[in-house]
Amino acid sequence: MADIKPIIEFKNVSLDYQDNRVLHNIDLEIEQGKFYTLLGPSGSGKSTILSLISGKNSPSEGDVLIDGKIVNELPANKREVNTVFQNYNLFPNMNVYENVAYGPKLKKLPAKKIDQLVKDMLSLVRLSDFEQNEITELSGGQQQRVAIARALANEPKVLLLDEPLSALDYKLRKEMQYELREIQQRLGITFIFVTHDQEEALAMSDWIFVMQNGRIEQSGTPVDIYDEPINHFVADFIGEANIIEGIMKEDYLVSFVGKEFKNVDAGMKPNERVEIVIRPEDLDIVAPSKGKLQVTIDDQSFRGDFYEITAIDDAGNEWSIQETNPAKIGQRRGLKFDPEDIHIMRFNETEEDFDSRLESYEGEE
Amino acid sequence: MKKLAIGKIYLIFVFILLYLPIFYLIVYSFNSGQSMNGWAGFTFNHYHELFSDARMIEIVLNTLIVAVLSSLISTIIGTIGAYWIYQTKNKKIANRILSLNSVLLVSPDVIIGASFLILFTVVGMQLGFLSVLLSHVAFSIPIVVLMVLPKLKEMPKTIIEASDDLGATGYQTLSNIILPYIQPGILAGFFMALTYSLDDFAVTFFVTGNGFSTMAVEIYSRARRGTSLEINALSAIMFLVSLFLVLIYYFISNPKKGGKK
Amino acid sequence: MKKSSLTYYISYILWLLLFVILPLVLLLLQALTNQQGNFTLDNFLNYLSSGTYLRMTLNSIFYAFLITLITLIISYPMAYFLTQLKNHQFWMLLVILPTWINLLLKAYAFIGLLSQNGTINSTLSFFGIVPYQLLFTNESFLLVSSYIEIPFMILPIYNSLIEIDSNLIQASQDLGANTWQTIKNVIFPLSLNGVRTGIQVVFIPSLSLFMITRLIGGNRVITLGTAIEEHFLTTQNWHMGSTIGVVLVIAMLVTTYFTREGNKKGRKK
Repeated sequence: MADIKPIIEFKNVSLDYQDNRVLHNIDLEIEQGKFYTLLGPSGSGKSTILSLISGKNSPSEGDVLIDGKIVNELPANKREVNTVFQNYNLFPNMNVYENVAYGPKLKKLPAKKIDQLVKDMLSLVRLSDFEQNEITELSGGQQQRVAIARALANEPKVLLLDEPLSALDYKLRKEMQYELREIQQRLGITFIFVTHDQEEALAMSDWIFVMQNGRIEQSGTPVDIYDEPINHFVADFIGEANIIEGIMKEDYLVSFVGKEFKNVDAGMKPNERVEIVIRPEDLDIVAPSKGKLQVTIDDQSFRGDFYEITAIDDAGNEWSIQETNPAKIGQRRGLKFDPEDIHIMRFNETEEDFDSRLESYEGEE
Repeated sequence: MKKLAIGKIYLIFVFILLYLPIFYLIVYSFNSGQSMNGWAGFTFNHYHELFSDARMIEIVLNTLIVAVLSSLISTIIGTIGAYWIYQTKNKKIANRILSLNSVLLVSPDVIIGASFLILFTVVGMQLGFLSVLLSHVAFSIPIVVLMVLPKLKEMPKTIIEASDDLGATGYQTLSNIILPYIQPGILAGFFMALTYSLDDFAVTFFVTGNGFSTMAVEIYSRARRGTSLEINALSAIMFLVSLFLVLIYYFISNPKKGGKK
Repeated sequence: MKKSSLTYYISYILWLLLFVILPLVLLLLQALTNQQGNFTLDNFLNYLSSGTYLRMTLNSIFYAFLITLITLIISYPMAYFLTQLKNHQFWMLLVILPTWINLLLKAYAFIGLLSQNGTINSTLSFFGIVPYQLLFTNESFLLVSSYIEIPFMILPIYNSLIEIDSNLIQASQDLGANTWQTIKNVIFPLSLNGVRTGIQVVFIPSLSLFMITRLIGGNRVITLGTAIEEHFLTTQNWHMGSTIGVVLVIAMLVTTYFTREGNKKGRKK
């Protein structure tokens, strides 16, 4: 792993904007050929990271490296990185063909090569029949594709995508997610995708950086981040989660709602206060006697492929449960879950400590 | 960076170009010599000369009276016209009226002056104060329309409906709701009309008779006979007045800085 | 209900009829009649067959073209650099301010600057250069006319530049364009509407400037405007004056046609 040279590297990068620190000590490494996602609520700093890679901004502290070279002050037009913008930013004075040919023409490539590139890129985004169309004649989804083709025609080492799908409707967005993923795999170039939509991030990425308040909270594969969120914010932001406080009695034993449960986490101090995460789809509603927890059904709503049921336990905690069968409101039922469904989070644990703790006890087993 | 430095030098250069003639006039209005050639010393003499020049004072007053009167009248008629265009439901007709409205805005001064001269002669009107006033009213109306119309268009239709709904008569809605709403546009139109009138030379030159003159026409005839520093003194005063009007206009059109509404 | 309400608008309607439509009709009638009041095309035939009139017209168009070109070359960079400034609205106000000063006063300043023993010549002679005839030359006419028209060219160009989405400039840089390439390929094409309006508002008045030809140009340059003024106020030949007026109106309509908006590009689909 360590011998693969990262294509982009951030070394302790901070950025100040009008006396505000908008990025705090960011360290990250981007490898060739993968699909990365920067995920976080608006204002979390994800687009700011893109702007440091694209060259729109320069870091206030630390270094940004592309291909092992420090590029802190290198202007945008000298970087082998291109962007697909949120509002596409297509040139209205040029038609589809001219927009896509813009970058290659600036590079003074031979006319034949330019033509070939433009045709290839337009066929890649399935717009071959629209070469001569004006931008204003295209739908939002088509403009999106032109923007992708235009950025790719420059043959960048890394493609930056700044919330490119946010203006599309739900169905089109789903389609484009799939298509983008396919294009990335076909071309084998690195994509860095920015979104605030966790579903999108989980569906598309090889690797996710979850961001909040100018910091990277956690990074990892979608499965890692979903199954083992580092803290309350990540657990809550990614997917649905029941988060309640508890006490880690000893390794593999946690207590909450006045009961003790077996689980699979370890490495905390005895009797440490922790937070417990159980995903709604991991909870099953059973007869009260068969449940590990007893709850009263409070509310339910039909969500198409499942029922979202809310129940309240004896300590007053609210539980969200996803079930294929409806429940009766007001009824007393039991909740069943397995030890591996329980995920324990320590308060204020850094990503480094989190990783080494996980490694230590997972190695034991 | 480097680019901006070049830009700034260029900006300074053009600004100097734009203001050099004006400041040149003003500086020489204090010259104790008799011409704009060579500085002889500081004096207010040319201002005294100007204020004791009864003919010039009368002409300046004429100019101001024409400007204020024509602006007032054209503001009223222009506002009415804007409201008419606003009320016209048929978009095609409204656009026709609007392009007719703009004819006098895009026509060269000479054409306006010449055709008005024919008009006044055909109807047998004596050339003088009235013909000048009517001409100024005529060429100021379209700019008032163009200033008021956008304000009317951006007015939410719902506030008129609300007023009607609350039982206001057409007149009450107009005076209580619509006029206050479009007031900035009306004021801007008035100021534009004022400057159009003060700035005009060509049209007045055509339609003025022997007995009546405005400042621009007077300067033209004096300048053809040679320069006099009294005119410089007048220019300096005019510059201050213009500066003052521009500032007022600026605060009207940028209400965030000055106004309360 | 709508018909009767027309009476409210009577003042504006009267203005449209009496001061917009009627004067133009009268001008055309004058051009189409002779001294005796009979209908004739002689004025136009006269105009078209006279070398003097045609030469004057071409001359006027040529000088208006030069004035437009000079103001455009000076104004475009000016407008561009203005948009780069922080409080560009304030600086724009300073550009507009000189237009509020009567044109005659500005022309008057140039008489002082350019005259035989005026400031420029005295400065030149200070450096040992022989005084030179500056006033009453074609160049002085071009200089003063361009000076007067510059703010009217800057304003529409500035307005169109300020409307350009700054994200497009960012996109252009992202695709590898330097500042100059971005100006050439993105900013300039998108500001063309402003340029067209600027050409329109400078070219048409430049055809009809008559006071400057008299005060500064010393009657060496005769514009269509000078000719009209001459016929109306000096030789009292209103019929011929109106004919030239109609020519000027036609020139104006042609200019407006060629500089109309949406005349985006020659490409057809």
